[in-house]
Amino acid sequence: MELRVNASGTPDLSGAPSKMSTFDKNAVEESIRLKESSGGSVTIITVGRSDAKKTVKEALAMGGDRGYLVVVVAEPDPHDSLTTAYLLARAIERAGPFDLVLCAEGSSDIYAGQVGPMLSEWLALPFLGYVRKVEIKDRVIRCEQTLEESVRVLEAELPALVSVVSEINEPRYPTLLQIMQASKKPIEEVGSELLIDGRAPPRLVTTVGMTAHAMSRKRVIFEGSPEATSRKLVEALRSEGVLKR
Amino acid sequence: MNSVAREVATAGRELAESLSGEQLFVVTERSRAGEGAGKVLLVDGGEEVEGDPDLIAEALARAATKKRPSAILVGATRTGRIVAARLAAKLRLGCLSDVYRLRLQGTSIVGDRDVFAGKVVAEVKADLPCVATVKVGTYPMMSEGRTGLEVEEVGSLHRGVRLVETLEKRESTTDLRGASVIVSAGRGFRTKEDLRLAEDLAKALGGALGCSRPLSSDYGWLPEELHIGLTGVTVKPSLYFALGISGQLQHVAGIKESKVIAAVNTDRDAPIFQVADYGIVGDLYQVVPAILEILKG
Ligand SMILES: Cc1cc2nc3c(=O)[nH]c(=O)nc-3n(C[C@H](O)[C@H](O)[C@H](O)COP(=O)(O)OP(=O)(O)OC[C@H]3O[C@@H](n4cnc5c(N)ncnc54)[C@H](O)[C@@H]3O)c2cc1C
Ligand SMILES: Nc1ncnc2c1ncn2[C@@H]1O[C@H](COP(=O)(O)O)[C@@H](O)[C@H]1O
Repeated sequence: MELRVNASGTPDLSGAPSKMSTFDKNAVEESIRLKESSGGSVTIITVGRSDAKKTVKEALAMGGDRGYLVVVVAEPDPHDSLTTAYLLARAIERAGPFDLVLCAEGSSDIYAGQVGPMLSEWLALPFLGYVRKVEIKDRVIRCEQTLEESVRVLEAELPALVSVVSEINEPRYPTLLQIMQASKKPIEEVGSELLIDGRAPPRLVTTVGMTAHAMSRKRVIFEGSPEATSRKLVEALRSEGVLKR
Repeated sequence: MNSVAREVATAGRELAESLSGEQLFVVTERSRAGEGAGKVLLVDGGEEVEGDPDLIAEALARAATKKRPSAILVGATRTGRIVAARLAAKLRLGCLSDVYRLRLQGTSIVGDRDVFAGKVVAEVKADLPCVATVKVGTYPMMSEGRTGLEVEEVGSLHRGVRLVETLEKRESTTDLRGASVIVSAGRGFRTKEDLRLAEDLAKALGGALGCSRPLSSDYGWLPEELHIGLTGVTVKPSLYFALGISGQLQHVAGIKESKVIAAVNTDRDAPIFQVADYGIVGDLYQVVPAILEILKG
């Protein structure tokens, strides 16, 4: 989602157009590559306002086969990942049988990294998170998971859920022709209220405030020879008292 | 106890105090049972959990069902984010993610977090009991000191995913936390070997080496935990030195609280100069050696 900030410093979210999260392009790309190598079809599913249809179309232009949009009338709290994951889970079940669910490590808006693992709980699927490489053979998925402390090779039976990291691939740019063809691909829409049932989690997380971040810095710029500029910089840092010697 | 756990322990102690409650340090591996900051609970699933987020989440869920904590805090590492999210879904609890400045407000916990690439700070609230991941680098590290060990047997755990092999293991460092000077490298570096320039500068300044995300993620030149920003760690040095870093919002989100920011970049219009106190428009391959020379003299 793109964001405007009011003169008063409060962010203005109304009317901000939604667009696909950067890392979600990696997830879409990987799904299309898997389709190209192993067959099958790709369904693009998103939960959003009705203008999220644009996002779905973007993914269809990249090579998705059909779209599924869960339309929420009032914007769900962006931090209520448990509810978003629940809506996605119900939508995925309604969309039909599947072998693999792909999402990204985190969304561009909030980068919580919560929806994927929560979704795996709602769908009772094995979860392979922060994946930089995927291989599928004989209904077994093998992934390289990259964590801070280790890189691990994991395996699970399909169906499974994977969250990808950005280095997994380079997302393709759709051609004009693909963009035009995408508008003919089917997109099913369902209202979120139809998916909320007795098992839905209570809404426990809310956003209570938003402040635009302001940072004021000195912005002194030195230009010239490496020696002269370095000397000025070192002097400036000394007088700031941030150099030990 | 690793550095992340020691930060989370500080956040936990603060909350426990405001709740007039007790802080319990939970470990899922026998080898860690001797560590902690206060009372330690070893959740024993009878199996080596070995950093497996699946098993950790299940073990913690079972322990939490018995112990009924008001809040469960986890470090916002990759493993931690998976554990917290799965735990919250299993227990049907609210989950705050990547939060800092956690505080009690009535029967809820409120925390701050960076959203929209760090342009905005959101205040998020979850009703108690809840789960939260604590943004790495935002709390001071608590010193160790164990006061008691309790063992909770939780029965055998279900492994949904098989570990085939571990390709790489990396030692966890505490370099960036507490560092008063950080020299950070970006894509302005052309090869991994060239990072020696940044290391030399870090050494000369008595500081630590950090990087932008592409260097750890896309190139794998440095461990993931050294990348600074939205998806990595938050740093608060007296001096942050950005070499060949463009200064995209997601990176800057992690350096906002630096006292002084200095930058070297060939591009006069690089956004890093908008958020730097001092900048040199120049080639880091020439400027860094010149700075080193001056520091030597
Ligand atoms: C959801 C999301 C989360 C993200 N989280 C993070 C994060 O936590 N941390 C992070 O760092 N990034 C993050 N990113 C990526 C971020 O958007 C940028 O792509 C990244 O920070 C750019 O890294 P860089 O500045 O090293 O590279 P570039 O943007 O390519 O900049 C390289 C700079 O080096 C300069 N340069 C080139 N040669 C020289 C030279 N010889 N001497 C001096 N300067 C030179 C160039 O002028 C340029 O400004 C995230 C992105 C997304 C979508
Ligand atoms: N509203 C949504 N619709 C579809 N997918 C989503 C939605 N929110 C999150 N996701 C997926 O879950 C990932 C992690 O999101 P988050 O937990 O918000 O960081 C995203 O990158 C998406 O792949």
